[in-house]
Parts: sequence; structure tokens; C-alpha cells
Amino acid sequence: MKRLVYFTADDHSVYTWSGGKLAVEAKFPGDDLGVTAFREYLSGRRGALFYAVADLAGEDFHEELIPYLRGADRELVVERRLAQRYRDTRLAAALSLGHVRGERRNERLLLTSFTNTQRLTPWLDALAESEAKLAGMFSVPLLAPALAARLGVRAGRCFVVTANSAGLRQCYVDEGKLRFARLERTLDMVPEALAAFVRSETGRLAQYLSTLRVLPREGPPIQVMVVAPPGQRAAFERTLVSDTRLSFLTVDQTEAVRRVGVKSAPPGVGAEQLYLHLAVRQPPREQFARREDRRSYVLWQLRRAVLAAGAVGLAGCALYAGASWVEVVGARAEADRVQVETRAAQDEYQRITSAFPVTQTTTDNLRATVVEFTKIARQTAPPERALVYLSRVLEDFPLIELDTLQWRVEAQPGRSARAPAAAAGAAAADAARAPTELLEISGRVGTMRRSDYRAITAEVQRFADALRADPAYQVQRTQLPFDVTSEGTLSGDIGTGADTGEAPRFTIVLARSVQ
Amino acid sequence: MNFSAQELRQLALPLLACLALLAAGSALITWTEGRHAAAERALTAARAERSQAKERLMRIAEEEREVKEKLEIYRRLKDIGILGEEQRLEWADAMARIRTARELPDLRYRIERQQPLKTVPGKPANVEFYASRMQVVLALLHEGDLLHFLGDLRASGNAYYAVRSCSLGRTGQPAAISGLSPRLRAECEIDLITILDRAAKA
Repeated sequence: MKRLVYFTADDHSVYTWSGGKLAVEAKFPGDDLGVTAFREYLSGRRGALFYAVADLAGEDFHEELIPYLRGADRELVVERRLAQRYRDTRLAAALSLGHVRGERRNERLLLTSFTNTQRLTPWLDALAESEAKLAGMFSVPLLAPALAARLGVRAGRCFVVTANSAGLRQCYVDEGKLRFARLERTLDMVPEALAAFVRSETGRLAQYLSTLRVLPREGPPIQVMVVAPPGQRAAFERTLVSDTRLSFLTVDQTEAVRRVGVKSAPPGVGAEQLYLHLAVRQPPREQFARREDRRSYVLWQLRRAVLAAGAVGLAGCALYAGASWVEVVGARAEADRVQVETRAAQDEYQRITSAFPVTQTTTDNLRATVVEFTKIARQTAPPERALVYLSRVLEDFPLIELDTLQWRVEAQPGRSARAPAAAAGAAAADAARAPTELLEISGRVGTMRRSDYRAITAEVQRFADALRADPAYQVQRTQLPFDVTSEGTLSGDIGTGADTGEAPRFTIVLARSVQ
Repeated sequence: MNFSAQELRQLALPLLACLALLAAGSALITWTEGRHAAAERALTAARAERSQAKERLMRIAEEEREVKEKLEIYRRLKDIGILGEEQRLEWADAMARIRTARELPDLRYRIERQQPLKTVPGKPANVEFYASRMQVVLALLHEGDLLHFLGDLRASGNAYYAVRSCSLGRTGQPAAISGLSPRLRAECEIDLITILDRAAKA
């Protein structure tokens, strides 16, 4: 729960704030008795969190120009300017109004303080003595820019006018920055009278600011945002007629409360509830309390920050651990899936082994026996095939008479030489060792005269050509009855008239690869 | 802003709490990382086991296919007597049967002593291939007798008959009036191959 001390000229109230709900907890007179009562009140609330909001007349506003500075140098200059302007700087603040355009970029400051700080310091001392955590000391004007923004005025010049318990509060806000404010006490007035008072005071304010040249004399009308007391909007609108200088926009306090976000407030509380709520929800950076007055609050914030850092660290770790755990879950699920696959493979293995064909020997012996036997069988050939082939060819050569046939299987040593050098693999070696079946055919050409050597030679060559008809067979060697080659010896017996009757022999060697 | 010793003491508890929270977070991370590493190890092991099981399955499936394919040939070899000890008496009986059946005028044979066949390296030691060379001299009425003889010999089984050579020539004898005198003479060399598998069960 947060507490707000609302300082006015007459009395000071303590509000509690929780979730946008304001409630009055205590009220104290503004004299010494009130301070004593406040001390008693605080004794039961040591270390409580407080926000202080002053709504007092006599708040000074003064513009200053300082060089373009940053950090400690700026702070030092600001402190000096405040000290030059105000005798008591305990409740003084400097609001930056931005930098002047130009080479030097001087900074414009609005120095502000209360003309009578002595009325407030005993109360701040009481808070400090009770070790209360003072979040800040604000004045209502400091909160006016936030209220203007909440009510829809975020840029340009505007007057924010509210009817507070302390009186009629008028704040001049330029481009979201406070420039001036004043508080005019009001007595109980009927709505029309109050509206007229607002009209006249706003005109006076505009006139005053124009005189100070804070407001330009010419230009568009200044927007005046007036928060009318509940139910008085119509009366205000009737009275507050816009002109070339001022453009009035009236908002009912009930509507303003809704826009600002106040959930509830005690009955009869004026527009100060808007400022009190904003002090908690949207406190401005600049405020009056010095660092020493806020020491407990800063320490409290530091403790909270340290704890929050720990909590954030834990949350980060938990997040990382969560992500890691997701991976763990994923890895476990994957492992389960893999194990299911493994079991399926193992079951399949068991099924195969249980139904494995019954062999009468070992698998290695089975493999060796069959492979070796197949290889041997592939390297052998039956003679029938060549003999049948020869028989079929012979049907077309009735003159050919065979004497002897010699069939054999032998390795072809010449083939290894023909094997490509690169083919050094097993297949090439097998091919090189591939046996060949050879059929040596010896015979003669019958019913022809020996002297008819041309016809005999032609018949043998025709026979050899016929044996080549099947491409699987190759005629490896042909020995003709007459050696007609230049390397051989050709002999004849012409003119004797004698014919031995024996037909000349020929030999043909037919070859076929066994594989 | 400088803090006094008392104020700093007030910060001690939140700092300790912060450190405790961070330590708890670190411990949480360490624990989950440990679980993560364990899960990853388990997954790697499971994958290795699966790979091993699948490889084993693939091998056994391949072996099953090979065994089924080769077993049929092996059984056939056993059935026809190629697998086992030499059956010389069976061979002699077969020769006699063929001569009688084919009415061969003359059939002489000589089977030499058994010799081991050279085989490829890496073959199991308890499987041996043997060959006994047989020389056959046949008197034939015509060429068909030789073909019939070889066919009958193969059909008789008890060995794998690998014919190495065969020569066929005329006897030179004139054709007899009865037509039964042999006109051809054949000489063949045949390897009678048998396989001895010492691991074979009866």
C-alpha cells in the first residue's frame, strides 16, 4: 500500500492508494499540533512508503539559461543557480525546458520552489525521523503536464484548470512542459459563479503571461482544459465561451477521473485526486525532495532492485533450464523411439534365427562347398556340345570324312597376356584362367582327285568357315591338305599319271570358351 | 549517493537473497544440463545399439537368403553322392551297368589314386575337394555310344564327372557282316570329383 500526503494551505491529508483506489486515512491541521499528530500517526507506520504532493499558493517559477553541460558539471551549475535564486534550496527543483537552437545550445531551465518552505520542512523531517520511504515531493503543477496528456493535450500551449480542495489551480503547459502555475483560493460558489471565476482568472493569467512575454501576444487561441466539478460541465460550458485568445474545452471531473484511471476516491474530494493518482502512477522525474530526504526510498528501491535482479536471474535460469528440459524430454522420447526400433530389429533377428533353415553343416562350409563346386562346374564342359555342333555342320559337307576327333579342356595361357593390365582384380584373374574346350578335327575330302587341289582346298576352307557360323566357336587353327602359304613347302607329282587314291588330310582346331 | 555502513547492512540480506536465487538458478541449470547430458548419452547409446541390431539383422537376413539359396545345391550334391567319401565300388558297378545297358563291345577303365584339388585360399580347412582321374577306353559301334556313355555316367551319380579329354578315332576294322564289330575307339580322361565336408552331420 502506498500513502500520499496532500499539503494544502489549510490542512494536510494522508491518502492511501491501492490499485487506483484512494482513501483518506488521516487529516492533520497545518500548525504545530498537526505536526505532532502526524509524528504520532507515523510512529505506527515506520518504514511506510509515502508520496508528498503540495498544492500551495506562492510557488515560484523562474526561467534561467545555463550553458550546455552534462553530468556532474550540469548538476553543479543547477545547484548554484537554485542557491542564487532561493534562500532555502531544500525544496527547490529545476525543470529542463530544452535547449536553445544555435551554436551554444544553451539549456533553458525552469527553477521552481515554494516561497515558504518552512511550512513543509517539519512534515518532511517527521517523515525522515519515522524512516518513511519518501518517493518524492511533488507539487500539483509538476503533475499538470501528465494530466494534460491524459486528457488529450500532448502538444502546443494549454492551460490546465482544475477545482481542487485548495482552490482553483491553473497551470500553463507548453509542449508538454510546465511553464507557470498559480493557485487562487475559492469559496463555496454556485456552478455559474465558479465558471465565471474560471473565465476571469484564466483571462488574467493569459494577460499576465503575455506581459511577461511567456505567452506570445499574437497567435492561435490557447487551449484551456477545464476540469469541471462533477455535474457542472453544462454550466461551465455555458459560461466558458471561447474567443480569439482562449479556446475552452471542458471535461467533467467524473470523465477526467475515468481517463486518468482513478478507480475510486472518497466523496467530496476535488480534482486533486487526479494529481494524487498521477503522483503514484506517473511521477515526473523532477521533484522537490533532496537526495537526503529520499535516502530510505532509494535504499528500498535498491533492495528491491537487487531482489528483482535475483528473481530475474532465477527466472532466466529457469527459462534456460526449461528449454534444456524440453530438449531432455525430446531426447528421451527419441531414445524411446530408437529403443522400440532396436527391439523390433532384435525381435526380427530372433524370428529369423529361430526359423533359420536347418543345415547339415556349418554356414561357412555350406558356402565354401557350394561356391567352390559352382566354380569347378563352371570350369568344366561336356564334350557332347562340341560334338553335336560338329555333327550338325557336317550335314552340309557330305564330302568331308573324319578320321579322328580330339576333344580336351585346357587353360588358355595366351588369354592372360591379352587381359588388360589395369584389370588386376579377381574377375580379370578368373577370366585369364578361364579354360577353353578344344576340338581337333582331322579328316579328308573324299571322292576328289588328289590332283584337284584347288577344289579340295576350297572345300576345307568352306568347311572351316561353316564351323565359324556359331560365334561361340572359333577356328583356332586350320591345316590345309596343301600348304599354300609362303612359309610352307608345296610339293606335287605331275605327269606320272599315278594316283595313290588316298585323299589329302586336313586338320581344324575348334575352340570355345568354357564359361 | 554514498551509503553508510548501516545502510549497506540493510542491503546485505537482499544481496544474500539475490545470490541465493542466482545460486538456485545455477543449480537448476546444472541439474538440467546433467539430465540433458545423460539423456544425450542414453540417446547416443540407444542409436548405437539400434545400429548394431540393424546391422546384425541385415547380416542374418543376408545369411538366411544365402543359406536358403545354397542349401538347395548342397542337399542336391549330397543326394547324388558328390558330397562324402569316394564310392569306388559304386563307380565300378555303374561302369558295368552302362556297358551292359549300352551293349558296348569293349570298355576298359583305370581309376588313379585320389588327389586333392587345388582351391581358393580362405576356404574352411574342413572342406576338401578331391579328384580321382579315370582313363576310359571304349570300343564303339558308332559315335552316339560315347555320348550315351557319358550321359549314363553322369546320371549314375556318386561323383561329379569332369571330362578332361576325349579322343575318337576309327579302329580301321572293316564292317563285319553282322554289323557288331566296333568301328570306333574312344579314349577319355575324366576327373571323378568328390567333396569331403568334415563338419557335415550324418
